Amino acid sequence: MPGYLAYFVRRLGQFALVVFIGVNIAFFVTHATPIDPVEQTISAATSFGSTSPEAIAQMRQSLRELYGLQGGLLEQYAVFWKRVAVFDFGPSLSAFPTPVSVLIGRALPWTIGLLFVSTVLAWVLGNLLGGLAGYYRNSRLLRLAGVLVMGFHPIPYYIVAFVLLILFGYVWPVLPISGGSQMNLAQGFDFRFIVSVLQHAILPALSLVLVGIGGWFMGMRALVSNIVTEDYVTYAELGGVNRPRILLSYVMRNALAPQITGLAMSLGGIFNGAIITEQVFGYPGIGSLLVDAVHAGDYSLVLGVTSVSIVAVSAAVLLVDLLYPLLDPRVKVH
Amino acid sequence: MRVLRRLVLVWLAALWAGGAMAQGTISDLPRKETLIAENPEGTIKNPGWFNIWAINAGGQSTGLQQLAMDTFWYIDPEHGVDGVWDNSLAAEKPIYNADFTEMTVKLRQGIYWSDGVPFSADDVVYTVQTHLKNNGLRWSAPIQVNVAAIDSPNPYTVVFKLKKPNSRFHALFTVRWNAMWIMPKHVFEKAADPGKFDFNPPVVLGAYTLHSFDPNGKWFIWHRRADWQRTTIGRFGQPGPTYVAYIDPGPPDKRVIAQMNHDLDIIHDTSPEGMFTLAKQSKTSHGWFSGFPYAHPDPTLPAVIFNDQLEVFKNRDVRWALALLIDIKAVSMASYRGAATISAIGVPPTGTTPTYYHEPLEAWLRDFEIDTGTRKFKPYDPGTGAAIAAMLRPSMGDQIPTDPAKIAAAFGRGWWKHDTQAATELLQKAGFSKRGDAWYTPDGKPFVIHVTVEGDGRPVMTRAGSMIAQEWRQFGIDASTTVAQGTMADRRAAGDFEAMIAWSVETWGGHPDLSYFLDSWHSQFVAAPGQPQPPRNWQRWSNPDLDKIIEETRSVAFDDPKGIELGRDYLKLVAREMPTIPLMSYNVFTVMDETYWTGYPNAETAPYTDPVPNWGNTRYMMTKLKPQP
Repeated sequence: MPGYLAYFVRRLGQFALVVFIGVNIAFFVTHATPIDPVEQTISAATSFGSTSPEAIAQMRQSLRELYGLQGGLLEQYAVFWKRVAVFDFGPSLSAFPTPVSVLIGRALPWTIGLLFVSTVLAWVLGNLLGGLAGYYRNSRLLRLAGVLVMGFHPIPYYIVAFVLLILFGYVWPVLPISGGSQMNLAQGFDFRFIVSVLQHAILPALSLVLVGIGGWFMGMRALVSNIVTEDYVTYAELGGVNRPRILLSYVMRNALAPQITGLAMSLGGIFNGAIITEQVFGYPGIGSLLVDAVHAGDYSLVLGVTSVSIVAVSAAVLLVDLLYPLLDPRVKVH
Repeated sequence: MRVLRRLVLVWLAALWAGGAMAQGTISDLPRKETLIAENPEGTIKNPGWFNIWAINAGGQSTGLQQLAMDTFWYIDPEHGVDGVWDNSLAAEKPIYNADFTEMTVKLRQGIYWSDGVPFSADDVVYTVQTHLKNNGLRWSAPIQVNVAAIDSPNPYTVVFKLKKPNSRFHALFTVRWNAMWIMPKHVFEKAADPGKFDFNPPVVLGAYTLHSFDPNGKWFIWHRRADWQRTTIGRFGQPGPTYVAYIDPGPPDKRVIAQMNHDLDIIHDTSPEGMFTLAKQSKTSHGWFSGFPYAHPDPTLPAVIFNDQLEVFKNRDVRWALALLIDIKAVSMASYRGAATISAIGVPPTGTTPTYYHEPLEAWLRDFEIDTGTRKFKPYDPGTGAAIAAMLRPSMGDQIPTDPAKIAAAFGRGWWKHDTQAATELLQKAGFSKRGDAWYTPDGKPFVIHVTVEGDGRPVMTRAGSMIAQEWRQFGIDASTTVAQGTMADRRAAGDFEAMIAWSVETWGGHPDLSYFLDSWHSQFVAAPGQPQPPRNWQRWSNPDLDKIIEETRSVAFDDPKGIELGRDYLKLVAREMPTIPLMSYNVFTVMDETYWTGYPNAETAPYTDPVPNWGNTRYMMTKLKPQP
């Protein structure tokens, strides 16, 4: 236990260091962007309407003051950390003066909902199929399933997404192709809204599952193929234990350990958003928010989204590292 | 195996259930009474924000400026419902004093805000004074630069006292896409900070109020006011749609799918390929033109914009040589697949501009000569538009008009000849030389040009730029494209480019006055190299003759016919000097679906406004649209 406590403290320290370095890198990279949010704002404000060149210089100055972009980089760095210490990323520069945290808060639940379900679904189906395929190696049906699953795996995601869009949005238009829910439906925890959200999530989730399932399938099949040659499995088979029980309790249970690690890492990664998914299906997540922010030079928003992602991924890794020694007696802490 | 079979059965059941429970496009609203249009701004990050006076805080084309806002005047980019000029909140045109230092506006009576409060001069005075007192609002800078004071001698008259003469001050309150909108005094005066007030729900002067919006910014729905007669478009009759929804339908392919499913009545813009697909496969979809090129030509002129402060482009013979190396037919095919409306002169061929400028200058252009150093050369080819039509006719058949007037309207008139010999002579006259296959500048360096394009953000213009760079390269110039993508605005303003495909010319469309863009081309506004250039003289071109034209334009009234003469003088000057190479109008593939609605504007029988649904002028379309029986 004292050994574990020391390990816990060490890992926590590493987590804090990783987050600190990651956020610092994000700060300097975003501030190095050649896209000036003031010029983007002026361009957007003047690209169609009447402009007065004399007014532009004044507008530029006013916007710099409004956006707090005066002062050097180090001054902005100090202001940034003062805000982050109280979980404030400041106002968005492209949706001024709305706080970045509000914009992220609106988009994040959609990303988490879609990607959490898709990731878990792909994991469950991939591992199930992979386990079955690895154990019942002579089954033609499972071999066919394996071919199909692995067939999707190398296809670029955007192709799968567009094919689904065309199939179910145009050829057989039974599913919505855009948005998170039906137009004019009030958001709330009622049956109609939930059904609408689920309907709108089918295509994006399906595209993610189809592409994601292959990796889990291959991993599980390989692990199971190794484990079935173990002595205890052979012993159980010779002892007359029924095959489904051997598969579930003897084989897959042992094969799952590394897959659980992978799942935890993948779940941490959902906070990165799924940019292509959100762009193709018009899903209101943080991936789209990030793309818009980059194009607008809104580095407050880019920094906010990136920081959330850094913390989430690091936290997922930390959680796995802390739980593993507790769950698997073979893992020793030093 | 049983598990597998069960999984497959569950999957099929889910798919069937999905289909069985398929929801309509829009919940709880009658589709036949709802117009659904695309918002080109996409997903709005800050959807609950309707304070359009706070700069870029929320969406503008969500229906907010099209349906809810109002101001003094509108100039239509096409012909207008009742003429191109509409007095909206103003009862008459602007009244200037003799030296243009004072503008009086008589306001229309009987107009009410959506909460029942009458509109009056108090709202105008409040709007202007708020912008005078607060920096950082959308129109703070132009108001502070121009206005010394505002007065209202009675509830329906306002008098602007200007800091200096400005014969076009009214342009600030004249809608060409947008303008300075009027704020409701009784609402905003309660807000602590007008720049941080979200104005949700908005209290409006327009015929539509906010019905609902997506907290994630994908859609906004507006509802026709019961008292629509107490708005300025009540004069034209009841707006047809009971509800208008502005949505983000996603990338161009999805817009096409949405319209083919009749879930999107108006596509703001799609790719040429998307337009051709709809033209072929959807009987109910049509563009501005019933046949090729379908698109509506925006009053905007994409061009090759040189950075005229660079040494290599200071000589007009070099600019002319580069113009003569362009085969505009190839550029039209590469960019718009032939659906382009070309223009050889410095105004876009749209609205009433062809009547005031293109037609009258045709004779001058045919006789126009340049000196190549070896001979006098007539560079204008009047048959280029017809040649493009002829190229397309074998594949597009009767989609391509045969009537010369219709060809001119659809494809444009003439353009500059593609003449490599004349280009060679001009470059040699400028001191350039060719060694082997490559051209060299007068100081012996390779002649290199990087053509800046926007990339994925504007694929049509990127294709145009790529074709132009290729044509220059074939001649022996080391030309290539540079993709600016998101940095275009920054680079353009900074002058960080050699040549770029963009536009520095935008006109009213319906009115021939060119000061909308031309005033900003005066040399007083040209920034020094390295300093940011204010819109729109991106080419940073100074010319004393141009300054004279601009100064004389400033001294004449907006409607003075002298302004048209001066406009023609400008066009002749830029034809001689070629500071930019005009290419074509910015054609917008707005596609309208007649499944649920009829009465859309079109080029042939109903050019009462442009169909592009993000313009403030779109409100006039509402008065013409009727539900299909």
